[in-house]
Amino acid sequence: MTTLLLTTLLLPLAGAVLALGNGARARHSALMTTLVTLVLAAILVAQFPGGTDVFAKMDLGWLGAADGSKDSIGICFRIGLDGLSVWLFGLTALLMVVAVLVSWEAIDQRPAAFYGLLLALETGMLGVFVARDIILFYVFFEFTLIPLFFLIGIWGSEERRYAAIKFFLFTLAGSVLTLLGLLAVVLWDYYHSPTGVMTFSIADLTANLAARPMERWMQVGVFGLLFAGFAIKVPLFPLHTWLPLAHVQAPTAGSVILAGVLLKIGTYGFVRFALPMTPEGVAACMPWLLWLSLIGILYGALVALGQDDVKRLIAYSSVSHLGFCMLGVFALNPLGLQGGVLQMVNHGLSTGGLFAIVGMLYERYHTRRIEDLGGLARQTPLLAAFMVIFSLSSIGLPGLNGFVGEFLILVGMFQRGWAEAPAALAAQYRAIAVLAVAGVVLGAWYMLGLVEKVFFGPLRVPGQGAGRHGAAHGTAHEGAVRDLVPREVLALSLLVVFIVWIGVQPRLFLDPMAPTLEGLSRRATESVALAHGPAAQVPRLNGDRSFPEGHAAPSHAAQGRAARVPRLNGSASFVYSEN
Amino acid sequence: MFEIKTLLVLIPALPLAAFVVTAALGKKVLRQRSHVPLVAALAAAFLASLGLLAQVYRQSQQAPDAGPAPGHESAAYEKIVPLWTWAVVGNAYTAGEGKLLAGPAESRDFRIEVVLRADPLTAVMLVVVTLVSLLVAVYSIGYMHGDPGYWRFFTYIALFVFSMTMLVSVSNFVLLYVFWEAVGLCSYLLIGFWFQKPEAAAAGKKAFLVNRVGDSGFALGVFLIWITYGTLNFHDVKVAPDPRAPERTVVYHDPADVQNANLAGTQFGGVLGRTTLDNMAEHPRLYHGAALVAICLLLMLGACGKSAQLPLHVWLPDAMEGPTPVSALIHAATMVTAGVYMVARCAPLFAASPQARQVVAVIGGATALMAAIVAVTQTDLKRILAYSTISQLGYMFLAMGTGTLLGVAAGMFHLVTHAFFKALLFLGAGSVMHATGGVIDIRRLGGLRRVMPVTCATFLVGALGLAGIVPLAGFWSKDAILQAVRQEGTAGSGSTLYAALYVAALFTALLTAFYTFRAFFLTFYGPTRIPPEAGRHAHESPRVMTVPLVVLAVGTVVVGALLEWNRVLERFLARTPSISFLEGAAHAAHSEPGFDWSIAAASTLVAVAGIGLAGALYLAMPALLEQLTATMKAVGLYALSAGKFFFDPIYSLLIVRPLEGLARLSAWADRVAIDGLVDRIGGLPPALGSALRPFQPGLIPFYALAMLLGLLVLLGTMLI
Repeated sequence: MTTLLLTTLLLPLAGAVLALGNGARARHSALMTTLVTLVLAAILVAQFPGGTDVFAKMDLGWLGAADGSKDSIGICFRIGLDGLSVWLFGLTALLMVVAVLVSWEAIDQRPAAFYGLLLALETGMLGVFVARDIILFYVFFEFTLIPLFFLIGIWGSEERRYAAIKFFLFTLAGSVLTLLGLLAVVLWDYYHSPTGVMTFSIADLTANLAARPMERWMQVGVFGLLFAGFAIKVPLFPLHTWLPLAHVQAPTAGSVILAGVLLKIGTYGFVRFALPMTPEGVAACMPWLLWLSLIGILYGALVALGQDDVKRLIAYSSVSHLGFCMLGVFALNPLGLQGGVLQMVNHGLSTGGLFAIVGMLYERYHTRRIEDLGGLARQTPLLAAFMVIFSLSSIGLPGLNGFVGEFLILVGMFQRGWAEAPAALAAQYRAIAVLAVAGVVLGAWYMLGLVEKVFFGPLRVPGQGAGRHGAAHGTAHEGAVRDLVPREVLALSLLVVFIVWIGVQPRLFLDPMAPTLEGLSRRATESVALAHGPAAQVPRLNGDRSFPEGHAAPSHAAQGRAARVPRLNGSASFVYSEN
Repeated sequence: MFEIKTLLVLIPALPLAAFVVTAALGKKVLRQRSHVPLVAALAAAFLASLGLLAQVYRQSQQAPDAGPAPGHESAAYEKIVPLWTWAVVGNAYTAGEGKLLAGPAESRDFRIEVVLRADPLTAVMLVVVTLVSLLVAVYSIGYMHGDPGYWRFFTYIALFVFSMTMLVSVSNFVLLYVFWEAVGLCSYLLIGFWFQKPEAAAAGKKAFLVNRVGDSGFALGVFLIWITYGTLNFHDVKVAPDPRAPERTVVYHDPADVQNANLAGTQFGGVLGRTTLDNMAEHPRLYHGAALVAICLLLMLGACGKSAQLPLHVWLPDAMEGPTPVSALIHAATMVTAGVYMVARCAPLFAASPQARQVVAVIGGATALMAAIVAVTQTDLKRILAYSTISQLGYMFLAMGTGTLLGVAAGMFHLVTHAFFKALLFLGAGSVMHATGGVIDIRRLGGLRRVMPVTCATFLVGALGLAGIVPLAGFWSKDAILQAVRQEGTAGSGSTLYAALYVAALFTALLTAFYTFRAFFLTFYGPTRIPPEAGRHAHESPRVMTVPLVVLAVGTVVVGALLEWNRVLERFLARTPSISFLEGAAHAAHSEPGFDWSIAAASTLVAVAGIGLAGALYLAMPALLEQLTATMKAVGLYALSAGKFFFDPIYSLLIVRPLEGLARLSAWADRVAIDGLVDRIGGLPPALGSALRPFQPGLIPFYALAMLLGLLVLLGTMLI
């Protein structure tokens, strides 16, 4: 299994070289590469045993030896899968196949370079999710930027240069701060380590920081640095403006990958680093984070409602959906966290699919303006059917995947507000929970509005007279536009399978990630109790207990305090300021 | 072979199979035979539902499985069939001191299972749903004949019947919500079935969005239920260690297992389960709190959306853009009654919170009256029927709002009879449309009784049923509702309110008879008027359409008296576990069937008066009609009715437009303000560079001068 993971990781890079050398047949070799990668990834995901252990673990010496000796610097090539990364890993491999399929005809200029970059990007993204070393993670994290920069800058639309530079600078600015935060974690751990070994291993750092937490102010500071990079990547309001621009200008494959995978790196970073390493920092900022997530949900939805460009609308819907993911994560309880992580995958499937569909629309009608289009369901019924399915998934229709994530997130947030909030914050959290539900209504409004305007009503295609008379002209045009070809149906069906599967049988997808996330949320719960005090003794609305014989379990707050190790830096042997 | 379990799974599975087959093969293979899988599946599902009803009836009459609940004499029957586990989140909630959750103090999993249930309420709903679906599907063979989307129509209907049968048979709130939205989706797809028509596409979207508003209330209610009760199941479960693998747990659903004291494990009371409801009797304070009122009102908001009650009724009249069989099946007989079903299912919760119950009654009564007033002046036959549906659903909620067994049973009774006569009326209207080339404006029609006698006769039966003329279906169920409301109006808290609602309900009955027969007389009597759109279609509809009409007409004649006889429906429903806890349920089995002659006389009187008035104004004395219309116009009542109380423009002005404006404003602000700020910040480094550029001109003398000056300043500071 260990070599299989390494093979899966490096295969796309090899495929990139192959594609570059292959010239005209680059797309064929790219498709083969992504398909084989998908099969390998599927084997890995299927073999994933669940539990808290890291699966398919592999440690190789890199800038230091893997054995953790005192003399080496300790930066190693450590990879592996756990409950948090396993589905995102699989999602990446899946979406890459879709990305190649939607580029099949759309990319006619310099295809070799295009597919080469796309495959290099795949290695970068897979690497982000499998990295178990902070430096390795950062290398992959930055490595994803470069191919995408070129993909947008070369194969994008009119304003591609501006969009590419904005995307690059925005992300880079944040990630430099994130690097600072990560290094601060490493150095803090080094100075406080009883063995004096500097480690960059994420698992070791997590365990060490759990045993010897940083001071509260330090945690808040480090979290702030981590936040800078990850929040831009998510993106959280008000750091989101690079996203619509990048999406609109990117080629279809770029949009699919950007929405489907790259945004998840931000949310993934929060769960991977911020939650376990700076739990008190997260807990201290929790009200702010929840408000920012809520604003993202509502603001993203409102702005989406006001758009006149299909692609831009879907880009803003991403802002709204990622707000839901972050709301779940920052609710800091098992329901919210599991819902949030599942929603990352869901968003990748549904929004990835929506961007693919927009690409297919653009190939056929050469416009993305909503008002230029109408009644397309008559010309392209299959495309319309897929659009309806992806829209319904996106607005969280029960039976499809989006519902599961949103439901768990909202239940988690309600629980946070009603049962797990300190008195001072309960009202705020409750308001956030209730307002977040309004986001679900707005989501249905803009998505169904889009479907209605573009696909229903009388036919209207660009270059024809607008308005009701378009129908008559449209008939003449009807022969010219093809409905979906099998290649496109295949690309979208791959996603629909999982959209339905997650909706009907979410347990299959929740169970593997549950143990990892439960550990995280347990730590988070303790930190919340420390940061804000125990949950308020809210007067029971019902006034009475139904089971008088029921006895109270010790609350989490008490458990948290009891379990807490005394701070080591208080003792004389660890006075690092004198070093 | 035909155990309850098998039947219960079979009933939704059959339409699901039809859906899959039609979706896969309809377009290319089945084409104009796309109805075959669905009709076959529905026929089988209907038989299965009848079998289930018989089984449940027999079981519920036999010795109850777990003995009567303490403090209650009535026995109840339920059968729980777990299928698979949907989602589990471990240790999701720790109940304890200071937590809201009522129940044993311990950690709870968030565990949602796909569980079906069989009890009297479900069995009755399943029979109604499958029977009306079957008849409508047969009718649609004729009605949709030749439509290019023929296969698509039957695919959607199959999906709908699957969702609706699941909706009435699931046993937890999450799945209820799932299928609640799923039937909404089918409604959306079927309203917008002719998507080329912009009105149809817009109506579909409107229906979905208004329902989403209601559903968000429903969702909030579900979240609060989880917070308050720590479970989302209707029924009790017992969680015990798995005997084969002790580290795992196993969940028992069957009442026999749950009640079995020998079986070790922790019992978790379902929201509507025996444990919780027993506690309700012992701890009255626990179930009268603000949380319960909030839960009930939020659930009611959901019901208002789905069942088109005030203030969320605005989508249903527009939904008439869909094909007429859809209006009959989804927007009259089945889907819109889901809200009534939900309130009936949660009856103990509503009964325990008088405030919420009174809100339900007021919403129901007000909706019934408002919609009846609007229906009086509408000219589109389908819209008249749509408002009539809203009005009749209001009746059902009024009955539910009494919170007594009498009321809940009367509401369900009306749900059943209404399904017959309203489906009949809609299909009759569809038959008219079929003959007139789609024209449905009653001002352009007349004298159709000569052209289509079967449609006319069956429509008359439906109209009499709706008006409540003895011995047709509507008479019995409407009287039951009036009786329940009047009983609440005689004594107890809120008796004045219920007394007022009784008067309103009687007045509504008058209006109902009037508008129904106004439509009937204008369409089928008077001089023969056939619009030119009819072409050569102006004849009676084919057999495949008239047979369902006749079946429904027969049903309308017999079903009311049949179910009223010996109060069989009420006594059967009283054996539903949750309903068995209602006031009066304990005595239902023993009490004499009380028939209130005074109410029957009053309701018959107003019904006859309404019909007589319609006949007088529209057949005999047109002059009087004009005079009356003029008076009404002068008072302003006419505008109010014709303008449908101006809900649409008010919502547009107060909600839709401001939100759209806010959306455009946000989009603008995002581009200009937020992104502008980003660009401004991005412009800072180059600006700084430009500002510093003059100091690096590249001239050697300049640098020399700068060095010299710098040296002087340095020396100067050192000297001083």
